[in-house]
Amino acid sequence: MEKIELINTLPAVFAGRDPVPSDVWQCDLTIERGQHYLIVAESGTGKSSLCAYLYGYRVDYSGTMRFDGRDIRSLSVAEWCQVRQRHIAYLPQEMRLFPELTALENVQLKNRLTGHKSEREILDWFEALGIPEKVNSPVAKLSIGQQQRVAIIRTLCQPADFILLDEPVSHLDDTNNRIVADMVQAEAARQGAGIIATSVGNHLQLSQSIVKSL
Amino acid sequence: MLWRLLRTHISASQLIGFSLANLVGLTIVILAVQFYRDVQPVFDDDESFIRKDYLVITRNVTSAGAMMGGTSEFSDQDIADIEAQPWCRAVGRFTSSEFAINATVGLADSGRALRSQFFFESIPDDFIDVTDAQWSFDPARPEVPVIVSRDYLSLYNFGFAATQGLPRISEGQVGMIPLMFTFSGNGRNEVVPGRIVGFSNRLNTVIVPDEFMRWANDRYGQGNVTRPLRLIIEVNSPGDVAIEDYMTQHRYDVAGDKMNSSKANYFLTVIVSVVIAVGIVISLLSFFVLMLSIYLLLQKNTRKLQDLLLLGYSPQQVARPYMLLVLAINAAVLVLAVVLMLLARLWYLPMLHAFGVAGASVMPAIAVGLVIMALITAGNLLAIRRKVAALWLQ
Repeated sequence: MEKIELINTLPAVFAGRDPVPSDVWQCDLTIERGQHYLIVAESGTGKSSLCAYLYGYRVDYSGTMRFDGRDIRSLSVAEWCQVRQRHIAYLPQEMRLFPELTALENVQLKNRLTGHKSEREILDWFEALGIPEKVNSPVAKLSIGQQQRVAIIRTLCQPADFILLDEPVSHLDDTNNRIVADMVQAEAARQGAGIIATSVGNHLQLSQSIVKSL
Repeated sequence: MLWRLLRTHISASQLIGFSLANLVGLTIVILAVQFYRDVQPVFDDDESFIRKDYLVITRNVTSAGAMMGGTSEFSDQDIADIEAQPWCRAVGRFTSSEFAINATVGLADSGRALRSQFFFESIPDDFIDVTDAQWSFDPARPEVPVIVSRDYLSLYNFGFAATQGLPRISEGQVGMIPLMFTFSGNGRNEVVPGRIVGFSNRLNTVIVPDEFMRWANDRYGQGNVTRPLRLIIEVNSPGDVAIEDYMTQHRYDVAGDKMNSSKANYFLTVIVSVVIAVGIVISLLSFFVLMLSIYLLLQKNTRKLQDLLLLGYSPQQVARPYMLLVLAINAAVLVLAVVLMLLARLWYLPMLHAFGVAGASVMPAIAVGLVIMALITAGNLLAIRRKVAALWLQ
């Protein structure tokens, strides 16, 4: 997938409200593979909605979104599964880890589907993010910050054209923010993928990015 | 790992409840089907060699009537009157043997034989549905084909074979009954082998081919002409009320237990239908119990299922563990139901042997179970599929 286009899109809940200046809603926006985007927003401006539309689990918007020119409303369930496994790596804001599984099992649940990373590489990431001792702990026992790091590792365990991160570092300190940013950028560079990161305050510290405000 | 995630909230008690209910329902259905098929021949009048639209009648003679000189014979006038009835297609007369017959059943030289005085009757060949090859007589190589009352088989099996250490014989093995006839009359005394070609519930007599009867009456008989004691009538429809009225009016008896057995058969069918209906209702209810259980399970695991879908798992992949669960449960229930049916059958079949019933094939009952289970399973799987597919949009 080379580009994502948003053509005059607007979440259905915003319909009828006074137009708010935005770089994303009700205008034409093209997101290109290989570029890094930081979508800065205030709470309640439709940032998670945007992610949900792009990931195909919500369709309550007007306007058109396209993957490589194809209206994403026309994608079949099977095609969406392919998008989720091969083209867009997504970190939801609420992370959606399975609390009863261990940190490693959560990551493996994704990696088994994609076969993208070796266990060694995964363990190296745990090491890099400072949580090697949490590998076999149930996620329920981890702090939110630790969970966020596990979720980031899981997100990167797949081939991707775009890496879509919804507030990836909201619970991380500066040091970990930088580590995560480096990790994501390295993985994106390896695959030539684009990065789309949202933020309400604590921005992912990408080395360079196109900033769009919602 | 997927299974570990998705098995949470599975309620063992609900699944056991479903399995038991379905087991009971399915067992009732297939057992009823099997029982019906096993028992049916006892009530069934279908005799391959005498068609259903034939009635055998005798004249009903009370003791008072007999004292007043009444006769049990049919006169030519009686027969002409019957032939004139609109429901009558043809009338055949029974011809009786006019010589002495001794039958020997069993192995005479071993000393284990049943000897009895015997009698023969014949009816026109048109009324007998046995192939010509089986139902013929050649004086050059005499062998007498006979159709005997089914009671004789019981007599042989239970009264004779059992006490003499001879093998019991099913209807399929009729040819194995060793049978010899001794005909005496006209100064002759000759032994001729016999062969049983069939059994009848409706003809409480021994029927031989007309051809043989003529030959034998000529050879051993005195040449007396007797009038028939019984008639066989081909009718348009045996259930016709007009026939019953006519018979009552003329004090004729329709022979055999045909009337009674068709009532019994009817009630058997009704009872079995009711039992099958009950079984199906139980199965149907258990089907809804499983549906509810699955719906509840999917409801409780909705978030997990949606999370898996977000990871890129397809709806089929996340539905598969539940489908396998249902398949396994339903397959186990089917196997258990068939086993229970076979066990129950082992228990009741010996009781039916007394009626000369060998038991029907179990395949149709198993097929019925398979079809019901396939329908239930298809319903379950479809429900799971639809339910999971509905989780796609969040």
